[in-house]
Amino acid sequence: MADATPVLELRGITKRFPGVLANDAVDFDLRRGEIHALLGENGAGKSTLMNILYGLYRADAGDVLLAGRRVSFSSAKDAIRAGIGMVHQHFMLIPVMTVAENVVLGNEPVVSGVFLDERNAAARVRELSERFALAVEPVARIDKISVGQQQRVEILKALYRRADILILDEPTAVLTPQEASDLFAILRTLVGDGMSIVFISHKLNEVLEIADRITVLRRGRAIETVPAAGATPASLARGMVGREVLLRVEKRPATPGDTLLAVEDLHVRDDRDLETVRGLSLQVRAGEIVGLAGIDGNGQTELVEAIVGLRRPTDGRVGVAGDDVTGARPKHLIDVGVGHIPQDRHRRGLVLDFSVAENLSLHDYRKAPESRFGWLWPHRIVARARTLIREYDIRGGGPSTAAGSLSGGNQQKVVIAREIAAEPQVLVAAQPTRGLDVGAIEYVHRRLVEQRDAGAGVLLVSLELEEIRSLSDRILVVYEGRIVGEYPPETSEEELGLAMTGGGRRTEQVPA
Amino acid sequence: MSAVAARVEEARDPRLLGLLGIGLGLVALWLVLPPETVRVVPVPVVLGAAGVVCGALTISGGRRRLGWGAVFSGASGILGAFLITRASVPHLDAVLTWSTVFGAMLVFATPLTYAALGGMFSERSGVVNIGLEGMMLIGAFFGAYGADKTGSWVLGILIGIASGCALGLVHAVFAIHLRANQIVGGTAINFLALGITGYLYNDIYGNNGTPNDLPAIPNVHLAFLSSIPPHGLGSFLESIFGDLNLMIWLSYVVLVLSWLVLFRTALGLRIRSVGEHPRAADTVGISVYGIRYASVVTSGGLAAMGGVFLSLGFVNSFTEDMTAGRGFIALAALIFGRWRPFGAFGATLLFGFASALAPQFQNVQSWQTYGTLFEALPYVLTLVAVAGLIGRSIPPAADGRPYAKQ
Amino acid sequence: MSDQPPPPVAVPDERLPFAERYALWQRGGGIATPLATAVVAFAMGGLVVLATGHNPLQTYRGIFDGSGLNWLFPWVTGAARQTAAFNLQETGLLMIPLILTGLAVAFAFRCGLFNIGGQGQYIVGIVTGTQIGVWLASLPGPLHIVIAVTAATLAGAVWGGIAGFLRATVGAHEVISTIMLNWIAIWVGSYLIGFGGPFQDHSQPGVPVSRPIAMNAHLPVFWGNPLLQGLDIGFFVALGMLVLYWLVLRRTTLGFEVRAVGFSPDAAANSGIKVARSYFLAMAISGGFAGLAGALDILGWQFRLDVTTIQIASQIAFTGIAVALLGRTTAIGTFLAGVLFAGLVNGTSTANLDPSVFPPQLAGNLTTIIQGLVVLFVGADVLILYVWNLRRKARVRRAAPPAAAAVAE
Repeated sequence: MADATPVLELRGITKRFPGVLANDAVDFDLRRGEIHALLGENGAGKSTLMNILYGLYRADAGDVLLAGRRVSFSSAKDAIRAGIGMVHQHFMLIPVMTVAENVVLGNEPVVSGVFLDERNAAARVRELSERFALAVEPVARIDKISVGQQQRVEILKALYRRADILILDEPTAVLTPQEASDLFAILRTLVGDGMSIVFISHKLNEVLEIADRITVLRRGRAIETVPAAGATPASLARGMVGREVLLRVEKRPATPGDTLLAVEDLHVRDDRDLETVRGLSLQVRAGEIVGLAGIDGNGQTELVEAIVGLRRPTDGRVGVAGDDVTGARPKHLIDVGVGHIPQDRHRRGLVLDFSVAENLSLHDYRKAPESRFGWLWPHRIVARARTLIREYDIRGGGPSTAAGSLSGGNQQKVVIAREIAAEPQVLVAAQPTRGLDVGAIEYVHRRLVEQRDAGAGVLLVSLELEEIRSLSDRILVVYEGRIVGEYPPETSEEELGLAMTGGGRRTEQVPA
Repeated sequence: MSAVAARVEEARDPRLLGLLGIGLGLVALWLVLPPETVRVVPVPVVLGAAGVVCGALTISGGRRRLGWGAVFSGASGILGAFLITRASVPHLDAVLTWSTVFGAMLVFATPLTYAALGGMFSERSGVVNIGLEGMMLIGAFFGAYGADKTGSWVLGILIGIASGCALGLVHAVFAIHLRANQIVGGTAINFLALGITGYLYNDIYGNNGTPNDLPAIPNVHLAFLSSIPPHGLGSFLESIFGDLNLMIWLSYVVLVLSWLVLFRTALGLRIRSVGEHPRAADTVGISVYGIRYASVVTSGGLAAMGGVFLSLGFVNSFTEDMTAGRGFIALAALIFGRWRPFGAFGATLLFGFASALAPQFQNVQSWQTYGTLFEALPYVLTLVAVAGLIGRSIPPAADGRPYAKQ
Repeated sequence: MSDQPPPPVAVPDERLPFAERYALWQRGGGIATPLATAVVAFAMGGLVVLATGHNPLQTYRGIFDGSGLNWLFPWVTGAARQTAAFNLQETGLLMIPLILTGLAVAFAFRCGLFNIGGQGQYIVGIVTGTQIGVWLASLPGPLHIVIAVTAATLAGAVWGGIAGFLRATVGAHEVISTIMLNWIAIWVGSYLIGFGGPFQDHSQPGVPVSRPIAMNAHLPVFWGNPLLQGLDIGFFVALGMLVLYWLVLRRTTLGFEVRAVGFSPDAAANSGIKVARSYFLAMAISGGFAGLAGALDILGWQFRLDVTTIQIASQIAFTGIAVALLGRTTAIGTFLAGVLFAGLVNGTSTANLDPSVFPPQLAGNLTTIIQGLVVLFVGADVLILYVWNLRRKARVRRAAPPAAAAVAE
């Protein structure tokens, strides 16, 4: 069992990124032989904290103590040497190399001073994997084994380097439930062997299942540290989500009309060929805002990409105003009236090096009056941009200013102006207020409600519960690629939070 | 019983079928060429057709690329047989003097081998190197210059290598620390080498050219080869291998060493890890920049050895732009050989073969013109390979991507 | 506000940093950076001259006079003015292919592609132009010229288009495929006009040269003696192409798409632009520029194709890379860089540079060194700008925290 001396202690860690206070005087301690969970929403500062511990970031203030001694890491190498191992959420494995090669990389057994001792490497990996029941084949290539096995390789890397502190960053995010329960068994073995583990997660249930103690992080601050034994999902959810003042959004009751967007039994795979949308169905009607609540990584990104034509679904159907548009190209979807506010406006929403005017005409440049027979009329593009700039209150530059030099809020106004000016029937807004200040957030919210009132169907995908609750007419909760429940906007954050972390009551989906 | 079943199962393995198809196509070609010179068209055509069928079965068996390879091989067998049986036997014998062609092939392949191996180190560590051409050229000049000034071909080689390393270092600084576009940087390297060697050559040697008494790298005489029985084989071997330049043999040593370093040592594992996933390498404490610098500088040195062979081992003089695009061919060989030492070596032999065979066409008056056309063949094959029709060439994952430390 | 390693960036798009940095380079610095690049390159070239015991100022002065640019000075009179005019005509002739092969690099660059296949595209253009010029001798001159030039342009477009097609469909990197296409063009071209080749001049079987093109396909000369390589109307075609280049990029939907794809393939795709189509078209148009260069060279002053011309194609096309990069892939920049390099190459030619000032053999190589330095610093130039822009970027970051978090990671 865990004894009381901390093998690791973080004191008053503060880390500031431009515009963001990622960690605000965080205290954290890890005892020998315990699993200490770090629980928090996305953006709560969990990974930043652990990256500081692992030597990848430097803290602005605060101390790291290992077994009571102050240490200072300037690179991952120092952390490894001090016995810390980290399993990154995105594995640091080389796909074309074998398990054994990946494990020993940087610390290779050699014969005659230079030659790689493949046999010895494989033997040591096999020995470790047998001792800790981490079943992997040492000579298998990484890209030929499952994600669960890849994760075991990451753990083996740490064990091979004799780590006694292991950090796991969202380890179950990429695992199937079966693989996750295998992982938990492994972690218990490791702890039994004297390892101390930091377990980073946003899933309540698994934290309650695996951890000895739980530290809840919210907006960069450690809210509480509690023993898992006495904690309840509801109390943890309250700590994670907090009670913030609701942003007031003035809106009349919705008057929903015909169904404009219909998604039926959709299956979509992500870049790693994992199915992240698993039979999802939803409908959005004219004149309503449907909020899609969920923790990041539960299929929202792929769902949105499939709706707007950037990703081909493997199965299922997408319909817009009665037409089947499954697998259609983005241009077709723009033409049938699907507007899209992408979650990553720098990468997808804007051509940062184009002028504001060019960005505003990214959909319309191929239509009259901006162009005719392939001939572009820049002054018409600029004239239209002037109107839109005025109408949408875009500040910080004129039509010929590069979009990349605008502030985030004004960049988002450009995206919104472009998408809304096309008078879409369906508007998909993915995290439309991400990274914006309060004024810009209010602006975006007002525009979305205007679209609703003008008869568009709005699908709002957001990680911010507050935003979902204040804007939506209906709330759908997505968990592991499926809709797990529909809620009215008055639902409490605790209840939604529970549902989002897989702990809520599973309601039958109410047909819209 | 079960063993028999297993063997039947094995025979159905599409992989074997595909290889069989490729083999059949090659046999069809081999039959019609000297010394066999089968003149009956149906025989090779049937063999080639069988190759195509094997290929088709392989494709239906799921191994599409191998299958297409077999179809391609079978079809070229048929086409080649058809064309070659049209030609007269004396003409064929005049062009395909195998001992001459193979000997010349080894000579032509050598500079390419050095440069391709150099390129392999650079690209395996994640730095694209289209400056190989320039690195070869500067090696060719400084090798000759060094040998001339010191009177020693050994020092000539070393000075040539040093000049290549220096140019490699320039490329490394711009590609790694300054994170400049590596293709632009490589292009600049080629310009620089061309200008610097041309300038110095004219400034130092003027119109007279490099002296005729440049210390040449000696050939290795292997007279014992001719005594290998049977007599035909022995003299055949001797005419190919009996009088090759020392640097040709050295290139095989370098080839094996390169393979050992890259695939059998801890250092090689690190080089490859940096080229595939630099961040993963970084998180286990490997210096990404250090490995890349070392690899690019090595790359320059090896490419320069190819140049030194040209000036000191082959033509025994330096002339302006004497590499004449061989660096680009080496790059093609590297890609054709899928960034592997022996693959790249095989490709340089193919390119060398084309260069060796082309002048042979001169031996037949009416065929003169095809020699030139024949030289284009390896590039067509490389283009086909790059397009992924005969097995896709997949570069190291991080090739060409600058790495920013965290 | 993600504090996790940002998933979209974890698998980096190879095009993205290139386009980003290229854009930075475009925006910052205006004319100043290419000017600085050129000055530094010339200064270093001067050091080379100095180190080998010559006077750099006199050398550059000699090169300037050799280029004929002193014709622009009213105080140059008499015989000197005659020589200057003659030299300037030659420089003008050289500007034609340099500008056009420069555009061949520049247009692809605007789409985020690196076309080093100008050489091959130029060769297929020159071969096609030659053969049409030889064949259709009975056509009236202007028509003959138009057909020959158009065919050569199309041939270049096909050659470039192959690389674009492979990039767009199977993702084959355009740098590799254009290198291969260069060599295929060299050998096939050499075969066609080589000994016994189908296009060889059979009246002189011992010389690997094409038949001379018909007189009526010669481009009219507007300045200088037509028999002594006066400046032909191809010069205006090249200038016209600069205008066309600007128009296509700025005034057509095609150019809009090409630029969007070059800057951000992801955002372009998000807006319904077909990225693959843009890649193909950009390479085909680039190839067309290079093919046109070949046609104008052959119809303008070479009048017949020999093996040397095919070998020299590499120098033309590679200088074109330097022209495009120094000209920052703008129309006006390409023109100015074209003047610079045409003057430099012509000013250092054996015929034009006064050997008592500086040996022309050295000077030709000095030109190559300067080109190399220009191209090298063009890459570093991005870095200098990057440093200059850090402050401004930091300001933008403060306004956009999520990007900041992503960048910080």
